[in-house]
Amino acid sequence: MQTRFPNKTLPYLLLAPSVIIVFIFFVIPSIQSLYLSFYRVSPLGNKKIFIGLQNFIRLFHDPGYLNSIVTSFKFAIFVVALGLAVSMGVAVVANQRLRGFGAYRTLLIWPYALSPAIAGLIWAQMMDPNIGLTSHLLKTLFGVHFNYQTNGQQALFFISVAAAWKMLGYNIIFFLAGLQSLPVELLEAAAIDGAGAWRRFWKITFPMLSPTTFFLFIMNTLYAFFQVFGLVHITTEGGPGRATDIMVYKLYRDGFEGMNTGYASAQSIILLIMVATLTILQFRYAGSRVHYQ
Amino acid sequence: MLSVMIILLFPMIYAFLIATQTPAQYYQFPPRFLPGSSFFENIHTAWDRINLGRLLFNTCVVAISVAIGKIILSVTAAFAFVYFNFKGKAFFFITILITHMLPLPVRIVPTFELIDQFNWINTFKGLTIPFFASATGVLLFRQLYRTIPPSLADAARIDGAGPLQFFWSIVIPLSKTNMAALFLIEFIYMWNQYLWPLIIANADRTRVVQIGLKQLVDTDAAVDWHIVMAGALIATLPPLILLIIMQRSLIEGMSFYEEK
Amino acid sequence: MNHRRIFILLAIVLAMAFVLSACAQPPATETPKQEAPAEATAAPAEEKPAEPAASEEPVTITFWNAMSGSRGEVVKDLVDTFNEKYPKYKVEAEYTGSYAETLTKALAAYKAGEAPTIVQVYEVGTRTMLDSDAIIPVYTMNKGEVDWNEVVEPIRKYYSVDGNLYCMPFNSSTAMLYYNKDMFEKAGLDPEKPPTTWAEVEEYSKKIMDAGVAEGGFSMGWPAWIFEQMYAWHNQLYANNDNGRSGLATELYVNSDFGKMVLGEWQRMAKEGVLVYGGRKYKANDPFLAQQFPFLFQSTSSLGGILKKADFNVGTAFLPRFDGDYEKGNSVVGGGCLWVMDTATPAQQEAAWEFLKYTFSPERAVIWHKGTGYFPTSNTAYEMLKEEGWFEKEPNFATAFNQILSGNDTPASRGVLLGPFVQIRDVMGTAIEEAVVNGQDVGKTLDNAAAESNQLLADYAQLHGK
Repeated sequence: MQTRFPNKTLPYLLLAPSVIIVFIFFVIPSIQSLYLSFYRVSPLGNKKIFIGLQNFIRLFHDPGYLNSIVTSFKFAIFVVALGLAVSMGVAVVANQRLRGFGAYRTLLIWPYALSPAIAGLIWAQMMDPNIGLTSHLLKTLFGVHFNYQTNGQQALFFISVAAAWKMLGYNIIFFLAGLQSLPVELLEAAAIDGAGAWRRFWKITFPMLSPTTFFLFIMNTLYAFFQVFGLVHITTEGGPGRATDIMVYKLYRDGFEGMNTGYASAQSIILLIMVATLTILQFRYAGSRVHYQ
Repeated sequence: MLSVMIILLFPMIYAFLIATQTPAQYYQFPPRFLPGSSFFENIHTAWDRINLGRLLFNTCVVAISVAIGKIILSVTAAFAFVYFNFKGKAFFFITILITHMLPLPVRIVPTFELIDQFNWINTFKGLTIPFFASATGVLLFRQLYRTIPPSLADAARIDGAGPLQFFWSIVIPLSKTNMAALFLIEFIYMWNQYLWPLIIANADRTRVVQIGLKQLVDTDAAVDWHIVMAGALIATLPPLILLIIMQRSLIEGMSFYEEK
Repeated sequence: MNHRRIFILLAIVLAMAFVLSACAQPPATETPKQEAPAEATAAPAEEKPAEPAASEEPVTITFWNAMSGSRGEVVKDLVDTFNEKYPKYKVEAEYTGSYAETLTKALAAYKAGEAPTIVQVYEVGTRTMLDSDAIIPVYTMNKGEVDWNEVVEPIRKYYSVDGNLYCMPFNSSTAMLYYNKDMFEKAGLDPEKPPTTWAEVEEYSKKIMDAGVAEGGFSMGWPAWIFEQMYAWHNQLYANNDNGRSGLATELYVNSDFGKMVLGEWQRMAKEGVLVYGGRKYKANDPFLAQQFPFLFQSTSSLGGILKKADFNVGTAFLPRFDGDYEKGNSVVGGGCLWVMDTATPAQQEAAWEFLKYTFSPERAVIWHKGTGYFPTSNTAYEMLKEEGWFEKEPNFATAFNQILSGNDTPASRGVLLGPFVQIRDVMGTAIEEAVVNGQDVGKTLDNAAAESNQLLADYAQLHGK
């Protein structure tokens, strides 16, 4: 327990800037989102009609919105599964030969500095139907005519790969940190007992890595839902069709292109429910973990 | 292992190669894996076409001021939480933590309208101030301050030093490593923001580089990939250099996220 | 610990960042308006024999636009020249993102009392602007200096309500047919005889495909817009209330027999590999330039870019017609128009009007047309271009112009005005993809699209109905 200074006003002064900003830009707007979600608002905001839950009812009958939910989930599952699987694999391999690891680690972190938008540009170039290296490869190796600009499934694949790739460095660092904190004796004992590498991985490494995996699962999921707007906006713009119209992009289009602010706010509330669920999951889990340490 | 690294980093390497080539060079098949002949020309074209100098300047202003703003606000808030008892402490703490649950898309319409009412559209104020509060930062420093030996504060009190003196002469110097970590993380975070700058500040004076790049791909006919990659390369360089120089702090900062 | 080291690094980085920003930053902080110092077009010529008014502060007006890249350069030149010529006024042009972003931001700024004086709005936003109560119609600003008959008729009609022009046409375009002349020759077709009907488009496509010259027949940019064009081109109403011009549109006619016929044809041709779906906006230009198919339906505004990048002979032609007993309408104008916001002070209104007149002057319209490929908006400008032999030298630039002048002026051919047009375009774009790409039932797809759009129209009418 730290020493406390006996001062009545100073702590409030110290806290004031943070708290004021949180209230003005976080708490109050979130409540207003809820308020606006019950209204239909004109583009200039001068006319407001109370329509109860109509926006929400509309949302779940809007094929565009239902599609964006499905797209978001597909995208998130792909990003999280691909990202975690690849990075765990790389980390396990890297962990076995730690010599010179520092240099590798440096390189691995690089994509962390990239924005999702730039990752998107890089992959848009790699997968460009005319000049892209990946599209050439897919064509020669598998005979796939790859054109993400006209094929919806391929477009979703493209943004998923770009998004997952950007997170690899971040994930690998955490997996490596997790791996290095594993008790070496346990793995050695298992090796002496004759357990193969594969078996050791599934029986020991994988379960003991689960806190890290869970943490990364949450971080990657939040990333896939909330931080890839730039990637979509700069490359596919939600298309072709609505194939890459993830929820945040749909929200942007309805709110800031269509100027349908009530409808967009209702979408905000849906997102709020999702993020709240994830955060509570994360805090509860992280909270219980502390006791074991 | 090296091969795995190369595969993972390959898109970056290849993007760099494209940035050095001419269209004739990257249109040829099979593709060449050698640097081309027009690197500086491409950089120059990208620079002029979207006024990259201005974009980089704007982005620097935004990223640096938010990083510094967040550091200041979180250090002071964490100090208050650790070294004082006051009414409503738990309430305030939860208030700050709640920012984690409210990412931008959840409150974007009203926040935009608020910024509009403040007349902060197309201003650096609108771009930066809403980002100043940081739950991560407060948690980071709070955890650090809890580990400072209480004897230091006791000694300060006995010496008759006030809390601010103690804060300035003991706490701040001890916070430097964490400050560096937070600076790096927030700098990169802000540098890579997209949605907020797009809706709030897409004007010549305040446009940031991520948004500016979009203009390079928005063409009627055949994207000039060499120019786009050159632009993307320049736009990545500042955070990348910072990351390479300061990566030790990043790893310390990241490991904090896990412990949280 | 190495706090010290890290802090030194931090300091270095900070210093670097500032150095970077310092060199990155042209003298722009002090005079933020003057971007791109490399461009010394007009700025230094400021000290010309100006009127004594130079001692007074010029009236400053802002002009938000969505013109980037080479078009942005032409806008910059326009503004610079105006400022030089009229020292009494100062126009500050600002590129504010895409059309949609510019419109959203202009209305937001209006709410905050910081509206730009002039804003460029795309055709999709016309109804929104009309219903905003936030604008000064240009016809009320005209004290007889401009003869509105000077404005090319179909363009004037598009932006007019009850015969009154509401905004100053600026960058207007329409859709036309682009084709690859080299492919025509290779397939033994006459490159100077482009198809005039859809049946011919299909026939020629198949010939070219059969000759092994191309993989597909045609593609289109902005598919939902091309669909609208087909309605107007065949004199079919797209929505009720005279296409939303005699009152707010409340019902879309996209699922009419005509609509089902058009989309049905497209679907059939897509199944036969003749129609190659190429994505929205300008995405289909790339495969056209890569010679994957001989025909492209696209906005005339792409002409400059296509001519520059194509390594084959490009031909252009009128939109083809469907066989059947359809009257001739006209192709519809798209692009942007300049609106004056009502927050402008009388002095600013005067400046804005002066600037609008200047953009409309034949000399500027000629420069604008040559620099961007958009229509010259004034008839005199058109005559001037004709006289100097521009269209003989660049016949492709005449095609679209002749096309819109060849049409008939009817309620259906003036183009549709819809409140929630952004969303409806998207609904229609999706419907077309459902039918053409995914092979969904045309009738059902269009019925659903109509229902979805009518709902949006009803919501809009509820907010804006008188």
